[in-house]
Amino acid sequence: MQSATRQGEEDGGGGNAVPTLPFVRLSNISKSFGSVSVLEDVSFEIRPGEVVGLLGENGAGKSTLMKIVSGEHAPDGGRVEIEGSEVQLASVGEGIARGISFVHQELSVVGALSVAENLSLGDLPRNRMGFVDRSRMRELASERLARIGAQAIRPEQETGLLRAGEQQLVEIARAAARNPKLLILDEPTSSLTPREVESFIQYVETARSAGTAIIFITHRLDEAIRLCDRILVLRNGEIVSEKPSSEVTRDGIISDMTGKPAMFEYARTPEVHDRTVLSLRSVGDGDLIEDITLDVAEGEILGLFGLVGAGRTELLETIFGARRMAAGRMEFCGERAQFAKPTEAMTRGMAIVPEGRKTAGILPQHSVRSNMSISSLGSMSPGGIVDRTREASQSSGYRDSLSIRMADDRQLIGTLSGGNQQKVLFARALMTNPKLLLLDEPTHGVDVGAKSEIYEIISNAADQGLAVIMASSEIPEIMALCDRVAVLSLGRLVGIVDRAALSEQRLLSLAFEGHV
Amino acid sequence: MTTLAKAGAPALRSLLRHREASVLIMLLAIAVFLAFSNEYFLSSRNLLNVGRQASVVAIVALGQALVIIARGIDLSVGSVIGVSAVVAAVVLQATGIQSLGLLVGLLTGLVCGIANGLMVTRLRINPFIATLGMLSVARGIALLVTGGIPVMFTGWAEFLGAGRIWQIPVSFILMLILALAVHILATRHRLGREIYAIGDNPKAARLAGIDLKKTRLFVFGFCGCLAGLGGVILAGNLASADPNLGMGYELDVIAAVILGGTALNGGRGSIIGVVIGAMLMALLNNAFVLLGISAYWQVVTKGLVIIIAVGIDGLQRREDDE
Repeated sequence: MQSATRQGEEDGGGGNAVPTLPFVRLSNISKSFGSVSVLEDVSFEIRPGEVVGLLGENGAGKSTLMKIVSGEHAPDGGRVEIEGSEVQLASVGEGIARGISFVHQELSVVGALSVAENLSLGDLPRNRMGFVDRSRMRELASERLARIGAQAIRPEQETGLLRAGEQQLVEIARAAARNPKLLILDEPTSSLTPREVESFIQYVETARSAGTAIIFITHRLDEAIRLCDRILVLRNGEIVSEKPSSEVTRDGIISDMTGKPAMFEYARTPEVHDRTVLSLRSVGDGDLIEDITLDVAEGEILGLFGLVGAGRTELLETIFGARRMAAGRMEFCGERAQFAKPTEAMTRGMAIVPEGRKTAGILPQHSVRSNMSISSLGSMSPGGIVDRTREASQSSGYRDSLSIRMADDRQLIGTLSGGNQQKVLFARALMTNPKLLLLDEPTHGVDVGAKSEIYEIISNAADQGLAVIMASSEIPEIMALCDRVAVLSLGRLVGIVDRAALSEQRLLSLAFEGHV
Repeated sequence: MTTLAKAGAPALRSLLRHREASVLIMLLAIAVFLAFSNEYFLSSRNLLNVGRQASVVAIVALGQALVIIARGIDLSVGSVIGVSAVVAAVVLQATGIQSLGLLVGLLTGLVCGIANGLMVTRLRINPFIATLGMLSVARGIALLVTGGIPVMFTGWAEFLGAGRIWQIPVSFILMLILALAVHILATRHRLGREIYAIGDNPKAARLAGIDLKKTRLFVFGFCGCLAGLGGVILAGNLASADPNLGMGYELDVIAAVILGGTALNGGRGSIIGVVIGAMLMALLNNAFVLLGISAYWQVVTKGLVIIIAVGIDGLQRREDDE
């Protein structure tokens, strides 16, 4: 698999007359967070002037690998060498000092400052009086923007008012201004216009011939093939293929990216679902999703698949009333429904297990029991006063039926493992006796054992007649559970795949639709 | 003790206990010191006076505690005390109906509180700024209504503010009853549980189906209403409603809430702690009077107490983070 690099080492010349010494060499890197292993035995190297594409499904370990290269994370095992000597980068700052710049997917520009200020942040030019030299700062900014072909952006503009793509360019210009020896770009072109992409590609070519090594994380396969010398595919924390881009094909990459058979076998007997619980007609939020039409029936698990930014979370939020439904029509249990807030959706019989357990899920200063009952207090509080006996018995019921492992349900929820916390959130949702259960990345950051237990919970819920919509970026999970899968791309529904036609290839090629 | 503490994890329980216990110990230490340094302190007359002083701070602090637990803050309570007292007194003077005067006092507070709540929930103004604005608006209205001159306020209000039942100040009894009611609301009622949840993690609480706007509106309205009651009691005690009544009270009230162990960033706090905190503030005031220390020092000390209480909270949290 890694023969391509080895060869490169021997001939030393290559197409662009690259020097023999790799700029960065990783050997046998492993990394885990808690009990979740994210990278296993990853080895890879990049030389000056080389452009490498790093591809993989969401959660394959791409970002973690790049964070190790840039010094944000320390590896648990393995060696990192920069320019031939072993290093242990303690921080991003050290990485930058060594010539490594990482442009993250999440923007880190300061919105309230001007473009020029952002581009000089941390190193503002000063005049003799010690004040900021504004004209020099503007000059520098124009120079830095022109370098990546973004001269259309005016330096004095307030950064927060720019389009996401323009902000991204400012971010790239900032990284490029440091004259890095290695530039890591996470989805750099995802929000650029075709014209911006062209200028950006020109910059990449220039930087390459100047000897900068570049690593690209991208979902745009064609672009990766066109731009990169080498394509590296990560799957479940391991490198599964590494080939010169002249030898790869779009389909080949997709099949490399998909992988391991599901650990939880699909074992549902798809009954005839005829009672429609939820139906959406041309639903949109006026911003990130539009024209979504689909139905979910009683006892059915509908998967919601798509790449990052496809609009899965936004769709769930719109259904649940957490986001304004700007267009279209929704019917829930045969009645017209449009919720101004989640409270209304819950009273009508919806419940959600949201994405982001820590930020949007748990109540960290509350006990496990209070976390479970918080959505059901209405039904267990005759006259407003909470019936604590009932609360305790409900809690212990779900503790047993969902096998939530803890010493006492009065302990703080934070003392539980991620998987058990997630089960508590399932208990919270199920306790309200919903007709429709919305799940957003239900097994994110959960270890393998808890994962299959959660699959069982979901599957049982559907068997009892619940309609389930499950948004997930993990294909094996979708394959293991879903009766049908709706695929979103760039905020639009690009297809609904039936169980019989369900394959990883099919899902991915649909998800990539619209991504050039 | 809240359900949270009783039903919560041992770690939290010990923390809260620790917090209430430390305030209680401070309270007792000052009491013992005063008992030895001034013979008058332990006289029933003085103690009852302290109780009376504590009760207005405590009553308003009950509402403030719920606001802070829900991750808000109400800086306007001092001015709301003033405007409620003045409006109640003016209505009483105009109509002569005792019950109406009292009711209008509470209603004025409620209206101010709901205005605060609407600014926070509908206009999404930061509670600090919204209530800071109200602080000025309410005080201004109190001055406008009276032309700056105190209005006589007797009758039922005087009974609430200065009356006694078996030697015990009526306001103190009222405070105990209200504290019990709010304690039950906070720990046993659905609404109280939702207030804690909102303060703990608003985003999660919203997705768990809690109506954030309604709940926040309630806490601000409730706090305003209790400030209105505080105004009636305070003015009744003096038999006169001064438009400057309650000036600077927000400091005592917030200090009592924080001293009682309520976390400024929400989700944590107990009503018993708040009452102890209010007692401590009243005792501090009393100490300055008894020891004959300049009232100016009293002002300095109050500020220091609030800073130290919040500082201790911050230090504890930093340990939590690490």
